[in-house]
Amino acid sequence: MSNVHTVPRSTSQSVTESNAVQTRTRKGSGKPVAPRRGLQLKWSSWAPPAATFVIAAALWQALALSNPYVIPTIDAVWSSLAKEPMMYWANLLVTLQEVVIGAGAGILFGFLLAVIMAEFQIMERAVMPLIVVVMVTPVVAIAPALVVAFGFGMMPKYIVTALVVFFPMLVNSLAGLRDVDGKALDVMRTLHASRWEIFRDLRFPGCMPFVFAGLRIALPLAIVGAAVAEFVAAGQQAGLGSLVTIAAAQANLAVTWASIALLCLMGVTLVSILALVRKRVLWWSEDTTVAR
Amino acid sequence: MSSELLDVTGAVGNRFAASAAGSRPAGTTGVQIANVSKSFGADGARTLVLDDVSLSINAGEFVSVIGPSGCGKSTLLKVIAGLSEADEGTVTIDGKTVKSATKGKMIGLVPQSPALLPWRTVLDNVTLPITVNPKANAGRTLRDPKEILESFGLGHAINKYPSQLSGGMQQRAAIARAFVFDPSVLLMDEPFSALDEMNRDAQRLGLLDFWQTNRKTVLFVTHSVPEAIMLSDRIIVMAAHPGRIADVIDVNLPRPRDADVYATDEFRDLEGAVRSSLQSVMEKKYV
Repeated sequence: MSNVHTVPRSTSQSVTESNAVQTRTRKGSGKPVAPRRGLQLKWSSWAPPAATFVIAAALWQALALSNPYVIPTIDAVWSSLAKEPMMYWANLLVTLQEVVIGAGAGILFGFLLAVIMAEFQIMERAVMPLIVVVMVTPVVAIAPALVVAFGFGMMPKYIVTALVVFFPMLVNSLAGLRDVDGKALDVMRTLHASRWEIFRDLRFPGCMPFVFAGLRIALPLAIVGAAVAEFVAAGQQAGLGSLVTIAAAQANLAVTWASIALLCLMGVTLVSILALVRKRVLWWSEDTTVAR
Repeated sequence: MSSELLDVTGAVGNRFAASAAGSRPAGTTGVQIANVSKSFGADGARTLVLDDVSLSINAGEFVSVIGPSGCGKSTLLKVIAGLSEADEGTVTIDGKTVKSATKGKMIGLVPQSPALLPWRTVLDNVTLPITVNPKANAGRTLRDPKEILESFGLGHAINKYPSQLSGGMQQRAAIARAFVFDPSVLLMDEPFSALDEMNRDAQRLGLLDFWQTNRKTVLFVTHSVPEAIMLSDRIIVMAAHPGRIADVIDVNLPRPRDADVYATDEFRDLEGAVRSSLQSVMEKKYV
């Protein structure tokens, strides 16, 4: 079972590595206005993760060849993907739709509620306990109940994905909205800035490092949420998660692992896009203050 | 505490006091602080931070407040800025309450740290007070942000971001931000305290230069004796526990001043006077 995790784990490692490279190039250029893109990468930055991938793949292949009924070979997974690309594509789109709509709603609601809580302290006291109660309830346990309530369509999947994303967004955004520079706030207050002006000019841009830190946690979770929802309520819509359960039940190892690989790829893509957007939006932020 | 010490309004021999007292009735221009008291803490264990402080700053006068830690100088500034409310006493700015003075954007604050917004350019940071609370812009002579930045020696940096500036340049931008919307009074809370001594001196001379051609009422909180003498018309020495005004020292050095003043006998005499006044304040604290 341990080598099952090898692929996703080393993938996330490579994402962190590429982030570190971007950071270095930006610092080196010293111009926050137009950060130079890290096009010419040093071999020392890409070679170590590449080596890790090669070693992991070799290990995988060796294990797969000696355990043919447990793990598929990489070429078997690849040929399955090559044989039916449209089937995988269609399922990927379903899952992606769940992630985009569900996570989008979760992010939006999480942020909006954080704004309301930051502006009206009583709201935090009133609502936070309920939210904590909902959040400590395992999503896996909620999902079947949601299927009963909303049927086998897309709705329960949107809700589960949104739920998973909601909490990290709320907590991070709230921390960010509270973390304003007290001296800057003093300056705004002596100018008699309205609540809206303080939000627009100070709190909103100032909370972005925290929002992005929240997104960095929320987006991978959104894929977990979508996959879990599909496990529980496969329904007619399919998706990569249900593809995994169906294929695993039929002991179709190639399809199972091809679907897992696509889920993983989706996560890597989303997180990479996020890193790029973050670099664009948050060039002014000190790297040390925020976990990516 | 004797009441003579509190009554610093009258006996000032500078030209601003004379002109202000001559043309208008007392209490209508500049900053009038009357019997302000303020304490912090829970009911059983309250600490008196400001004890019956009265002070009058004339229009166009530069007044420094100096004193040991805990003497309430920053609290006094916060009360005048409307960031903290006095328990007793009144503060008026050009005859208006602090509340209506803030509404009318009459107070320019220069905090201890520059507090520039890192995502805005220097120019946009300095423009901020003009865009915020725009209702109060009516009928005032707003300064051109570019022009004011140029006179602070930041003309080349208007499109840079705060992180690209040195600490001294950031603090100058923060001062420009306070001057740009033409407030009635400027409140500066140890604006140069985070800088190294060389830089500090350069910044203080820069401020002196700018202020001498753009006279505004200024209350300047500082820890530095030479800084207070160099900039001020009057130095208020405060004592701690409870925070109160212990001494008022007139600085009658001729204006415009420049770095040469440091070397004069008058400067050294004043430095001695302020230091001995501070010393007596500190001694009392430990007896």
